[in-house]
Amino acid sequence: MGEVIVITSGKGGVGKTTTTANIGTGLALEGKSVVLLDADIGLRNLDVVMGLENRIVYDLVDVVDGICRMKQALIKDKRYPNLYLMPAAQTKDKNAVNPEQMLKLTKELAEEYDYILVDCPAGIEQGFKNAIVGANRSIVVTTPEVSAVRDADRIIGLLEANGLRNPQLIINRVKIDMVKRGDMMNIDDMVDILAIDLLGVIPDDEYIVVSTNRGEPAISDSKSLAGQAYKNIVKRILGENVPFMNLDSDEGFMSKLAKVFGFRKK
Amino acid sequence: MLMKDNAIVFKGTKEGLYIVLKEEMIFDDIIHELENKIKPSKRFFEGAKIVNFKGKNLTPGEYEELVDILQNQYGMQFLGDYDSLCRSTALSKEESKGQLIPEPVKQSLGNEETALFIKGTIRSGQLIKANGNIVVLGDVNPGAYLEATGSIIVMGNMRGTGHSGTQGDYNTYIAAFRLEPMQLRIGDIINRPPDGNQYKSKVPEMAVVRKGMIIVEPYLGKK
Repeated sequence: MGEVIVITSGKGGVGKTTTTANIGTGLALEGKSVVLLDADIGLRNLDVVMGLENRIVYDLVDVVDGICRMKQALIKDKRYPNLYLMPAAQTKDKNAVNPEQMLKLTKELAEEYDYILVDCPAGIEQGFKNAIVGANRSIVVTTPEVSAVRDADRIIGLLEANGLRNPQLIINRVKIDMVKRGDMMNIDDMVDILAIDLLGVIPDDEYIVVSTNRGEPAISDSKSLAGQAYKNIVKRILGENVPFMNLDSDEGFMSKLAKVFGFRKK
Repeated sequence: MLMKDNAIVFKGTKEGLYIVLKEEMIFDDIIHELENKIKPSKRFFEGAKIVNFKGKNLTPGEYEELVDILQNQYGMQFLGDYDSLCRSTALSKEESKGQLIPEPVKQSLGNEETALFIKGTIRSGQLIKANGNIVVLGDVNPGAYLEATGSIIVMGNMRGTGHSGTQGDYNTYIAAFRLEPMQLRIGDIINRPPDGNQYKSKVPEMAVVRKGMIIVEPYLGKK
């Protein structure tokens, strides 16, 4: 029986889809069978980020409506072993699916695959309810902005109210220079307010834009700092104890390398 | 409504649990109220040891009936007997007249009736309302609302909006280990922290009404 993980944030544009794509790819690279489920009906993006847009024939709404079989809508990503995408419909809206149908679908998927990653739409309405209904684990993505943290707090409250205990936190797009100058929210302060476990911190990385536009997740590129951070997150999801990356960009190359291999200075 | 809420009170003492009944209640109401009170948390009360009733004189017949309901319907253990009820009722009357209530040193703060206890973080978008006081064992985050007819105590960071004395009681207060609220309201008075740099609280503080304004002051003496 696989695990259904919903990736959510409340606020839009904080990196849910990018996170879903990278974690999913990372889990597939670790040898797990993974389905990326795009729950953002009407505003689908996950297929674009994965570079699989042109291969969509059937989508999630077709599956729940019984127009096709589940397997027909699953797009296999040939670059990775055992990575599949279930795209959302683009011509419908969130009300095309109800929570019972989503629950049934995620259950069926979880029987065959190790990890089902649900890319949740922004907001707290029907789309959110659809996305979380089948999940047994949740990841909240936020950025170091007051508005994003506020929305993350609201979402955590709603997740807990819906029985998803212990959501985990990913802080995306952290600019270390700005944090140092005191111009950006401190990571400790954010964890303090949100009061949930920190799963990882993703540094702001221009390469993400490049990789997103190219349709190749950053995690597959060893040069990307964000990709490295996602790799660590994947290991933590698999239960490994990986120390948090030191994102201090003043550091020399060697000490950075040492960090990557898990040696600590102090 | 408020009277009804307190019509039956479970009171813990050194000897054990007493059920305090209002003197002016008629017997049928007692049975009805008992059901209202116990039914929702029946499992909680199962096996509870009740020492006796208090506060109202019951006839032996009424007494028997109540004990029977508690024991057989709700699974409680009843330790007392009718004679000791008569004694304790007489005693409690005396108590209430000449009781040694320590004179409040400064002022009594809020009513001491009931409190809603909540453990955990109160998050954005969550509204906690209470007919009485609110005690939070945890943080209250920005965007969360606490509304109490009585006072509010936050054993953690208070960063949300707090409204005490919602029915106009200016003697209520809002206290927190770290009082960094979005906004504070006591009765119909509204105040907020000063603009500019985000206010950081260093010591436990409480907000009270003085001269028609909400002011915030430490509640521990200076060290």
